[in-house]
Amino acid sequence: MTKRGGALPLPGRMSVMKGTKVAYFFLLPALLYVLFFGLYPLLYNVSLSLRDVTFITYIQGTARFVGFGNYRELFANPIFQRTFSNTLLFTGLSILFQFTIGFLLALLFNRSFPLKGVLQSLIMVPWVLPIIVSGSFFRWFFSDNGMLNGFLLAFRLIERPIPWITSGHLPIFSVTMANIWLGIPFNFVLLYTGLQGIPEELLESAEIDGATGWQKVRFIITPLLRPVILATLTLGCIFTVKVFDLVWIITQGGPGDVSHLFSTLSYSLAFNKLHFGKASAVLIVMVLVVALLTALLNLFQREV
Amino acid sequence: MRWYRLLGIVVLLGFFLAAFGGAYAQKVTVTIQDYFEPASGMAKFVDRWAEEYMKKNPDVEVKHVYIPFAQLLPTILQQALTGTLPEVVMADNPWVPNLIKAGVYLDITDKVKEWGWENWEDFFKGHRDLTSVDGKIYAFQVTTNNLALFYRKSLLEKAGIPEPPKTWAELKEVSAKIKEALGIYGFGFCATASEEGTWQFEPFLWSNGGSLLELDQKEAVEALSFLVEMVEKGYTPRDVVNVSGQGDVTQWFINGEVAMMENGNWEFGWHLTPDVLEKLGDVGVAALPVPKEGAKPIVPFGGECYGIGANTKDPKKLAVAWEFLSFIASADGMLAANLEHGGLPTRASAAEKIAAQKPILAPFLEQARYALPRPLVGGFEKYPDVSSTVWTAMQRALTGMKTPEEALKEAAEAIRGLFSPEEYEAYRKQARELIAAAAQ
Repeated sequence: MTKRGGALPLPGRMSVMKGTKVAYFFLLPALLYVLFFGLYPLLYNVSLSLRDVTFITYIQGTARFVGFGNYRELFANPIFQRTFSNTLLFTGLSILFQFTIGFLLALLFNRSFPLKGVLQSLIMVPWVLPIIVSGSFFRWFFSDNGMLNGFLLAFRLIERPIPWITSGHLPIFSVTMANIWLGIPFNFVLLYTGLQGIPEELLESAEIDGATGWQKVRFIITPLLRPVILATLTLGCIFTVKVFDLVWIITQGGPGDVSHLFSTLSYSLAFNKLHFGKASAVLIVMVLVVALLTALLNLFQREV
Repeated sequence: MRWYRLLGIVVLLGFFLAAFGGAYAQKVTVTIQDYFEPASGMAKFVDRWAEEYMKKNPDVEVKHVYIPFAQLLPTILQQALTGTLPEVVMADNPWVPNLIKAGVYLDITDKVKEWGWENWEDFFKGHRDLTSVDGKIYAFQVTTNNLALFYRKSLLEKAGIPEPPKTWAELKEVSAKIKEALGIYGFGFCATASEEGTWQFEPFLWSNGGSLLELDQKEAVEALSFLVEMVEKGYTPRDVVNVSGQGDVTQWFINGEVAMMENGNWEFGWHLTPDVLEKLGDVGVAALPVPKEGAKPIVPFGGECYGIGANTKDPKKLAVAWEFLSFIASADGMLAANLEHGGLPTRASAAEKIAAQKPILAPFLEQARYALPRPLVGGFEKYPDVSSTVWTAMQRALTGMKTPEEALKEAAEAIRGLFSPEEYEAYRKQARELIAAAAQ
């Protein structure tokens, strides 16, 4: 078809229309999949979050509709407030450090040096380990009688063990440190792959023009890498806000509920306290936060 | 003609299939659902019963279905919603009052009357209270466990201590001596952010006359202050708030990092198996230390219950399910099951027999006589809320975020807020009465 011909002859149009209908038909399986496994659970979660669902009311089907009652109660609850700020802190610090370290490593590995291959696979170790293994390791690493305190005590850097995961303020920072370690390979791999897509000639000609290392990073690499950087940050945000297993294994959100993220608080509300309604409300808040962060980053991308 | 013959064969095959299919459909299928891991003693015991029963009754198929612990409650929830509950439903004891109220279990009072009321009265009171409501019986608790003091004789001897401590003051004193002489921790317990944390606090609270529903009272504050002091003086590792469970504490105990610990008899079937006990060669068990001399150690009980699923209407299936239930709840069946499982029987007559065969269980068996059901002492269906409030308060005090008074005052207010004033008063009284009766 050409755009110039004005109105198309009728039979041709008919066949186009038919083609569209058939195309919709082929979309059906994917559509059904999204509806059943994506939209339905989400809407069901929303409906749970608006009702007073506990173990008994769930079985008997007598859960009252409470509107935004669950949400109101949550936002008034100091544990949830703490969880909210914990999640933001956890995500912010994790992304900041994972990204910076991952970026620096990617720059380093973008040139060749001896043993590069071996070191590169070593960087991937945190990602390859099952989280139950790394999580259990960190629980012991941070404990009062654990490796970190043992090390600091042995070098007389401290006199008494630091309560990394047995005090009111430190646990969230300790689990953040563990998560940074865990997230470096992910950032490294994406950025490293992106770096390899930058033509060597560009950097070489910049060098001839007398650009310093910093100038190359600032004016050539970063702008060219922008789409990759934004994709890395977006995925990183989504993954980090949703982290569950690592924190659950290291602190279970404790001690005294000080190190909860949205996910661990929701799990604990649902399966320790059997408050399915409130647990769903926490998850909906989490989904909204993730959506908001993603939207912000997308906005950033469009401004380019 | 060939195709005639072929048709004949097909028709004949069809007949056979229909006949066999029909016979198969007539077979009654009864399902026993529980969370005992397939290789564990209890699972093998149930499997054997099912096999023997099927041999005697070829028209019955007994299926034994394993659901992992974390999945069982969601599974029962789903089954109850869709009316597909199995014939025999097992549950962990703290869930049982909730499940009864939600209508998961069939009322089996009449069956028990036919069977013989003396069987029911042979069960310890706590287990009867848990599985019945207003005189109606819904399930049997068939195995139980509780908490006592494990100690390493050789370590105590090295510190010059001839006998395990009997009171809180002695526990403190002994721990101080162990710390001084051996440089290790005296006493370990579990204060993790789960029911396990609350369950390990309850003996200290209840033995001191305190109640989960009156945490701002002096009895509760004394109990928590005692545990906080043990941590602050370095007699107990602060890591107790971050262990993954009670099994971690047993690891410390086996490694010789703590000389004594609060733990349960299930450890004899888990970490402290006969070969480990033999290797250590010095493990002893005593009653949990009490606040004052002459007081009784009042502990919560654990363990599992079996009942009949509410959807079981077919009289034949009902009969098979009851056959299983009345076997595993009989004095002999329960004794055999618990010998294999490493648990304690819940009937007085079976408990006496197991004591003779396994003397190391003696302190647990003695405490089991007046052990208390957790939900009934913590406000019935609100127990999960109460429990999580308690372990949170416990963790806050043990980590020094709050003083025991502050932490417990907050917890007491939160717990009061869970109930209407009438409900609260009723549960408070119920808990008081149960604790007072146990202390008698």
